[in-house]
Amino acid sequence: MYDIKALYEAESVQHAVQLLQEHPEAQILAGGSDVLVQVREGRRAGVELVSIYMLDELRGVSIDDEENIRIGSLTSFSHITNDPIIQKYINVLGEAVDMVGGPQIRAIGTIGGNTCNGVTSADSASTLMAWEAVMEVTGPEGVRRVPIKDWYIKAKVVDLKPGELQTAILIPKESYDRCFGHYIKYSMRNALDIATTGCSVNVRLSEDKKTFERVRIGYGVAAPIPVRAYTAEEFLNGKEITEENIKKFAETVLEDINPRDSWRAGKALRKHISVVMAERALRESISLAGGVVNG
Amino acid sequence: MINCTINGKKRSFDIDPLTRLRDMLVMNGNFAVRDSDDAEGFCGSDTVLLDGTPVFSNLILAGEVEGCEIRTPDSLGNSMNLTVVQQALVDAGVVQSAYNAPAAALLMTWLFENNPNPTREDVKDALSGIFIRDAGYEHYYLAAELIKEKLAGGEYKTEIAPEFRPHLKAVGKVLPKIDAPQLVSGERAFVEDYVDDDTCYMVVLRSPYASAYVNKIDTSKAEAIPGVVKIITAYNCPDATYMSAGQGNPEPSPHDRKLINKKVRHVGDRVAAIVAETLEDAIKARDLIEVEYEPLDAVFTVEEAMAEGAPLVHNGRVQYNSGAPDDLDEYNKKLSGDEREGKVVYQFPLHGDILHNVAAANHGFIGDVDKAFAEADAVVEATYQTSQIQHTPLETHICFSKLENGRLIIYASTQVPYHVRRIVSWVTGLSENKIHIIKTRVGGGYGSKQDILVEDLTAYATFATGRPVLYHNTREEEFIANSTRHPMRVHVKMGGKKDGSITGIYLKVDANTGPYGNHALTVPMNSCSKTLPLFKCDNMKYDLTIYYTNIPPAGAYQGYGTPKGTYGLMMAMCELAEKLGVDYKEMVLKNHVEEGYMLEILKGLGEGREGNVVPVGSCGLREAVEKGCEMIEWGKHEESGDPDWKIGKGFAMIMQGSGLPGLDHANAITKLEMDGSIIVTSGAADIGTGLDTIIAKVTSDILCIPMDKITVLSGDTDSGAFDTGSYASSGTFFSGNAAVVAATNLKNKILDEAAYQLGEEMDDMELAWPGEVHSKKTGKVLSYYEIIHTATSGTGRGHLIAPGSFTTAASSVPYGAHFAQVAVNIRTGEVKVQKFYAVQDAGTPINPEAALCQMYGASLKSIGHTLYEDMILDKDGRCVNATMTDYGVPMISEQPDDFKAVLIDVDDAHGPFGAKSISEIACNGAAPAIGNAIHDACGVWMRSWPMTPEKILRELGKIK
Repeated sequence: MYDIKALYEAESVQHAVQLLQEHPEAQILAGGSDVLVQVREGRRAGVELVSIYMLDELRGVSIDDEENIRIGSLTSFSHITNDPIIQKYINVLGEAVDMVGGPQIRAIGTIGGNTCNGVTSADSASTLMAWEAVMEVTGPEGVRRVPIKDWYIKAKVVDLKPGELQTAILIPKESYDRCFGHYIKYSMRNALDIATTGCSVNVRLSEDKKTFERVRIGYGVAAPIPVRAYTAEEFLNGKEITEENIKKFAETVLEDINPRDSWRAGKALRKHISVVMAERALRESISLAGGVVNG
Repeated sequence: MINCTINGKKRSFDIDPLTRLRDMLVMNGNFAVRDSDDAEGFCGSDTVLLDGTPVFSNLILAGEVEGCEIRTPDSLGNSMNLTVVQQALVDAGVVQSAYNAPAAALLMTWLFENNPNPTREDVKDALSGIFIRDAGYEHYYLAAELIKEKLAGGEYKTEIAPEFRPHLKAVGKVLPKIDAPQLVSGERAFVEDYVDDDTCYMVVLRSPYASAYVNKIDTSKAEAIPGVVKIITAYNCPDATYMSAGQGNPEPSPHDRKLINKKVRHVGDRVAAIVAETLEDAIKARDLIEVEYEPLDAVFTVEEAMAEGAPLVHNGRVQYNSGAPDDLDEYNKKLSGDEREGKVVYQFPLHGDILHNVAAANHGFIGDVDKAFAEADAVVEATYQTSQIQHTPLETHICFSKLENGRLIIYASTQVPYHVRRIVSWVTGLSENKIHIIKTRVGGGYGSKQDILVEDLTAYATFATGRPVLYHNTREEEFIANSTRHPMRVHVKMGGKKDGSITGIYLKVDANTGPYGNHALTVPMNSCSKTLPLFKCDNMKYDLTIYYTNIPPAGAYQGYGTPKGTYGLMMAMCELAEKLGVDYKEMVLKNHVEEGYMLEILKGLGEGREGNVVPVGSCGLREAVEKGCEMIEWGKHEESGDPDWKIGKGFAMIMQGSGLPGLDHANAITKLEMDGSIIVTSGAADIGTGLDTIIAKVTSDILCIPMDKITVLSGDTDSGAFDTGSYASSGTFFSGNAAVVAATNLKNKILDEAAYQLGEEMDDMELAWPGEVHSKKTGKVLSYYEIIHTATSGTGRGHLIAPGSFTTAASSVPYGAHFAQVAVNIRTGEVKVQKFYAVQDAGTPINPEAALCQMYGASLKSIGHTLYEDMILDKDGRCVNATMTDYGVPMISEQPDDFKAVLIDVDDAHGPFGAKSISEIACNGAAPAIGNAIHDACGVWMRSWPMTPEKILRELGKIK
């Protein structure tokens, strides 16, 4: 049996908010693939849990009235990968969460859990970063929206206030419209492994497919929290698709990232890889967008 | 109250909703839902279907399954009535140690229920969350084809494995492993399935220090917990000094530990064992024990251990049971003699020198290597470092012991039942007739269960309390308090002539045995004794030194020392070939041994005694090299089409042994039962490899009786006769041959009895299928039933029982070559093993499909050792990646796309029906094959395990 003080089953989002207010120390339990592993390791021994597992209203992918792609926080990885809306507009997210590996984890791992644990290596993190996702949070004061750039506060800490839970992840139309992206997970093994570094790039090209209208790049494990490489993006926005620009873009990412040494990999490797991945993911994105590299 | 449906039946549970779903299912009797990773969500042994979707049941709370429908692996079919999926897994040969075979069967069932025609990619995806260590995944793909064919209403069309020896009915044929139905269907099979209800649990308090004296232990608070039954510490445990290696007595390993020592020598070493009524009580009590440690300086590498003035891992006194040196008293005066250190007892001299942290050493040579190097046209010299690797069996170490009528009954997951019995006898002081070892099915051994790592403590706990006691390692304990592959520094010097002939080889091996000396001498010795005899070379020399350090313990691991020696030698040879301008293949062909070549080098390599100098026997080495080179198109350069990805090829020759001639011993007792069927009682320890099936098959062919009329009982020290156990690749050769002797003896008894009953001469009798005796003279026929019925009728001559004993001086060596084609990304350092071919001479493959699966399993495992696996210690000796996710074993996604295992048909003069060993050797080739292929691809020599992208980029000069 787990070392858990109590488990409270939420029957609705409002009920969940109420339970979280009544039990301010409680941790939210979604699929369980992450929280229960932490409990097992003794990192959250004696924790109280509020389970939102039964809240089916938090499952599913839709396009809302504002034309946002709305992904319910409890939507599982396997659901996201197979969802037609995701496949049509932001297929890269489906590919990213599929890299978790193992049907058993993909069935219970949720996009909400993957973003609320505040872990920089989470497979969805760099892609949601690069697509400027917006977190919908419900709490005692109602619903608020947090742009992902403000979501991650520090390692393992996100912008959730007492009594709040994340209820959806939104991808605004402006963010996905005419965008094509690619994610690379650099890890030692393919399945059930933690990313050494993750890199997600997406591009919107000009009508003639010769110029970058907008480029965005997000990283996992390049810093304590998922980050964008804004300097590199700014350099490339509006530029022609050329070999030189691609290379310069990739080298420029080093100005915005700050990976560290760990037993998994050294800083030197992570920096080197980040540059190589930026180039590879960018080239793949260009190709998905139908662009060609000039000169 | 939790209401749900389990396997179609409505169930209600009055349990805490925080109970893990797996625990709830086990309570419900679905014990085949197993746990291999303490709920880490990695191994997949706990897989169930929740509302039709696979989940890790350890990561689901009981409270979350209200109203849900759950399916568990034991719902599929039982051992007398397997489903198509289960039967296909059995027939494909993947049901080996099988701890999570039921879970794999459930995943395959789920796959086919949702997709009757899955592609290879679909199979890969379905199995991407289950860890298979024994058989690899290749024959799961084969099983998927078999299932498709069967579901299409037909019979199997795909060949499962080639068959051998057409004149025999069982040996060399594709026939189900006899324990596979039990294992795949999830029936009772493993230690945990035999635990009594009133059993106590034991947990161990482990050292946080790599080296420290335990000066005081206060257990009073812990003992105040009502459920606590007993706490065992260094201050109340027996004084017996022994060691954990399951080797022939007297062992070539120093006796250097007690049940619990007053000096802890690694992070994870035993400090106290707590026996309590429940696991929760035991854990609670463990946390309340107060220990006064006196931390000491530690050493972790051989470099640190050999340094002048290094802290000593053992600093008590030395004792010899035979062959003590004359100056022993003087020597002991230089040691601290501190009582807390204990002592180091050598059964016979192993050239240890604990004053310099040397546990054992060995040196030898033939010819003159210095002269050979001087005469060479080129000489290469390099050092190769191997890492610390864990076996990661799906079933972690476990033992259940109880008292019955003054005897200790021990359920063990072991490779060595008789050695377990001896060591338990040493620890408890009970004579061996008072100890009964029952080896259950073993959920993965790979050498780790050749060590007596949990049975000593568990048995003693029962002995001391009179209570049934269960002990089960956590996965973390499996890494830090178990046994691992010895890290080794292998220094190779090799010289050759322009014609490709090797003039001389020098091998200097410095091995790290960790805190205790189990297998200290013999593992490193194998890095010479199972490698140097590959070469026709008159000048060879080796120096082995084995150091004590404070890393987590090392011990036996499939391949023993051989993978490390092979790694250094084959890579050095590839480098030498390049330097000489000779093709590597030509150089291999020029220098490898062949039948009849006298192996003088073995004289000094005899497990601490003088070795047997023997000629090379049956040898398919050349054929393996030629065949593999043809398959991989040796010499043909491949391009990837992407400038970042470079492709290269490499291979390595490999050899092993088939048991230890002059040391190993096996016995079997074969009986004709009352209806003419057969029961064989073998001392052997089948650890999932199909040894019981081998015994049944040889018995079937000798006694001309179908397999289903033969039952094999094995691994039980009460009913069987002595067998040294399953290690050193001895199973098929020794235990198989003992069964051959017993069956042949029974055959003679049957012929004699039939002649007597017919009033004819024995010479006129012959056995005939299916269990009859024919008179060649009169044509009369007696069935086995008639013979045994008459013999036991009250006026007959009695039951027909025949023992068979096998020892030998003959050495039957399996040979082979492993081939790799890799793609290396020179910008990211990533390595993909695109092709891997294991080509092996195993003599007669008695179980061909199981043989192929073992070749796949061992190859994939050693690909893992080469590229991913590594226990990483921090500066204090703490393992930082002691979880399955962090440690990094290869799974289905890491398996090469083009993966082939090929058996070379060779008949051996000494093996049972010409068989040699098959599995262990398959651990030896991957590292040098991949290392040489990486060099071929991008020009760097990877001289340390694991060959990570980081190291490759460093060698390529891409990062610092």
